[in-house]
Amino acid sequence: MQAFQQQLKTLEAADTRVLGVSMDSAFANKAFADQIGVTFPLLSDWGGKVTREYGIYLDQYQAARRVNFLIGKDGKIMEEQVDRDAIDPTKIVDACQRPKLKN
Amino acid sequence: MKHRSSRILAAGVLLAGVVAAADPASAQIKKETPNMPKVGDTAPDFTLKYFDGSDLKEVKLSDYRGKKNVVLAFYIFAFTGG
Repeated sequence: MQAFQQQLKTLEAADTRVLGVSMDSAFANKAFADQIGVTFPLLSDWGGKVTREYGIYLDQYQAARRVNFLIGKDGKIMEEQVDRDAIDPTKIVDACQRPKLKN
Repeated sequence: MKHRSSRILAAGVLLAGVVAAADPASAQIKKETPNMPKVGDTAPDFTLKYFDGSDLKEVKLSDYRGKKNVVLAFYIFAFTGG
């Protein structure tokens, strides 16, 4: 999450909205955001419906995998990062800055 | 009659044994998540809430369509690193 926060200005300059998602309550997420200094919304997927729709619900943890999706303006998924790769958002930041996204 | 009830009991014991034997298999950890949408797929729409410090606000993914790219960063739990 902090990695995205560090890149937030770059991402926003590339017309990109950053949203965190977890299965915590909205209130726990806000406390977490304040603690780590995140200013973008951390959405609450209480019950895990969206996490399941995105196919990343983990039975053994009863929680989501760490996954980043970059969704283009056309609503289609442009990039995915899963598990360890998802900690470093460089690939997504680079993808946002591709000129074809700026139309 | 007595014979019959003992047969039912035996069947019950057998069934319990089968269920117990099947349990470790169902507890196997599923690592794969084959339902994950792929690059190029349309992202499933959703409406989720977040707390901005004073109110619960809704975010609908499709509201960004045609306006902004969206990064969705799923994470395991609050208060974990990353």
